[in-house]
Amino acid sequence: MLRKAMGFMVSNPLSGVVGVLAVIVVVASLLSENFLNSYNLVIIARSLAFIGIITIAQSMLMILGELDLSLGAIGGFCGVIGGILMVKLGLNPWLAFALCLAIGALFGLVNGLLVTLLRLPSLVLTIGMAGVYGGLNLVITKGVAITGIPADIGFLGSGKWLGLPVPFWIMLLFLVVGCFLTLKTPFGRYMYAVGSNLPAAKMLGIRTDRVRVGVFAFAGFLAALAGMLMVARLGSAQPSIGDSWVLAPIAAAVIGGVPTTGGIGTPLGAIFGAAIIGVIENIIVLLGVSPYWQSMVSGAIVVIAISLDSISRRYFKRD
Amino acid sequence: MNRVGKGISLVVGVLASAVLMPVAVAQEGPGLEKADSYRFVVVPKVVHPWFDKVNQGAQQAAAAIEAQTGSDVEIQYSAPQSANVAEQNEIIERAIATRPDGLIVDLLDPSGNRTVLNEAQEQGIPVTLFDSINPEGMSLTTIGSDFCEQAEMAANRLIELLDGQGKVAIMMGVPTAPNHAERARCAQAVFDSHDGIEVVATGVDNDDINTAQQQASAIMQANPDLDGWVASDAAGPVGIGQAIKEADKVGKVQMVGLDDLNQMLVLIKDGVADSSSASRPTMQGYWAVMAMWQQATGAITPSHIDTGNVMITPDNVDEFME
Repeated sequence: MLRKAMGFMVSNPLSGVVGVLAVIVVVASLLSENFLNSYNLVIIARSLAFIGIITIAQSMLMILGELDLSLGAIGGFCGVIGGILMVKLGLNPWLAFALCLAIGALFGLVNGLLVTLLRLPSLVLTIGMAGVYGGLNLVITKGVAITGIPADIGFLGSGKWLGLPVPFWIMLLFLVVGCFLTLKTPFGRYMYAVGSNLPAAKMLGIRTDRVRVGVFAFAGFLAALAGMLMVARLGSAQPSIGDSWVLAPIAAAVIGGVPTTGGIGTPLGAIFGAAIIGVIENIIVLLGVSPYWQSMVSGAIVVIAISLDSISRRYFKRD
Repeated sequence: MNRVGKGISLVVGVLASAVLMPVAVAQEGPGLEKADSYRFVVVPKVVHPWFDKVNQGAQQAAAAIEAQTGSDVEIQYSAPQSANVAEQNEIIERAIATRPDGLIVDLLDPSGNRTVLNEAQEQGIPVTLFDSINPEGMSLTTIGSDFCEQAEMAANRLIELLDGQGKVAIMMGVPTAPNHAERARCAQAVFDSHDGIEVVATGVDNDDINTAQQQASAIMQANPDLDGWVASDAAGPVGIGQAIKEADKVGKVQMVGLDDLNQMLVLIKDGVADSSSASRPTMQGYWAVMAMWQQATGAITPSHIDTGNVMITPDNVDEFME
């Protein structure tokens, strides 16, 4: 029975991360009576929604063997552009929302074109582009938030549907889209081929640059979506939106089985990784851990979670 | 009992009720509710030594309430790791989930924090603000000092030191933080009102000492004839002081600092800074807890408690050293 369960764990790449998440949830619910209350579950879902959308984007890039460290900056900048369109220019909020998603896709496209045409490492290029988008954000706003966002779009950030936050449902929708794209379409198979072995993928006739640029553009679109949902949530376009969306999505994707080297993993696994980080951050605050210890405790638990998953896989494979 | 006796009894009963009734009402009135324990959550803008002083004040107030009433008072200090509104909102939401008796918050941005403050109120959790202003349409009790007055005190002191003539620079903190922006704006207004004073540069340090040092060094390189500095955040003057020392300009470039971090006080003692216009974070933490406790007892608290500003100079700096 145990061997059967372990065999399932080894054969199913998601089982490890789901198991770790389950253990953390059980421990968290034992440690804090507030963990499983409905309000807390809603805030975990909402928190997961924003970081989850960026995680989906980053995990798809990581399947290609790429990274985009400017996704947070794109999200923040698109949020500010949305604020200007809605508040200063009086544009219809829904039209402004759609325009910002297109602008986000355009920024992602620019990143992809620069990576592919100039043959630059995406890690280095997107660090620079994060500075460009973040800098433009500060130039336009002078660091001051744009307030007076129309209430029409507030529902997208603060509303609930079937008891769960609307951003969470939107994240789930794009998780399905991301998983379908990567796992069920020829485009997805090309992504894995590019991530596994770029020269071999080229020799097979795959238009590798098109695949890479396409995923960068989709990632930019998702970053803009997260930024605009956050604007709707806060009721203001804060220049600081996206500042914390840089490292956590990469860590989430790695925990969820998407290595930075590319070629394997799924957006679904990455979301489970994001959920692990989200639950840990939640329980740390519920337990009243000192803010000076929080980063260390959170980081250590993430390292332990990855290690346990990796060790158990190696052990049972060998056995 | 005859009819007269019944009448007397009735009158006595009514009179007794009239006398006793105010006592009964008073026991349920403002400030008379009592609990065996209270738990208040303090959420500052970010992990920062200035807010550690707020926490110290909060702990002092908790100890005072415990000593005076016998009730247990727990202060849970929960700070965001970075000055990011979304992150602060998540911390506040997680705090709400623990059902505290009150939330004490320093808002990073009133408009951006408004939704979660509404959530707290919907959940029946009282909120008190410190070092910040009310979001539009809300009327929570606020504790703090007048940011503009604090900046004006510093700017006027620097003008006095320069005899009304010279080139000065302003170090901004986090541009999105309303109190930092207000201080910078008020200092600029004071300088603009003096013909002999020219503001030649404005730096942005994002409330970070290293950034402040780099910015101050660059600004002093670009403006070798700079005469003086003021700052808009607590980290700024500490970085400026280090830059002044590194550039060997102690005594040549004047600085009037801000707030009372220990590093700032050492700069005054060492003669690197002339003085510092300080708010009182310990007092803000103390009175924030007191206000929160009063609300928990059913009392109505004032709309604002002014903890005031003080000018720390070499003459009184020892009073502030820990």
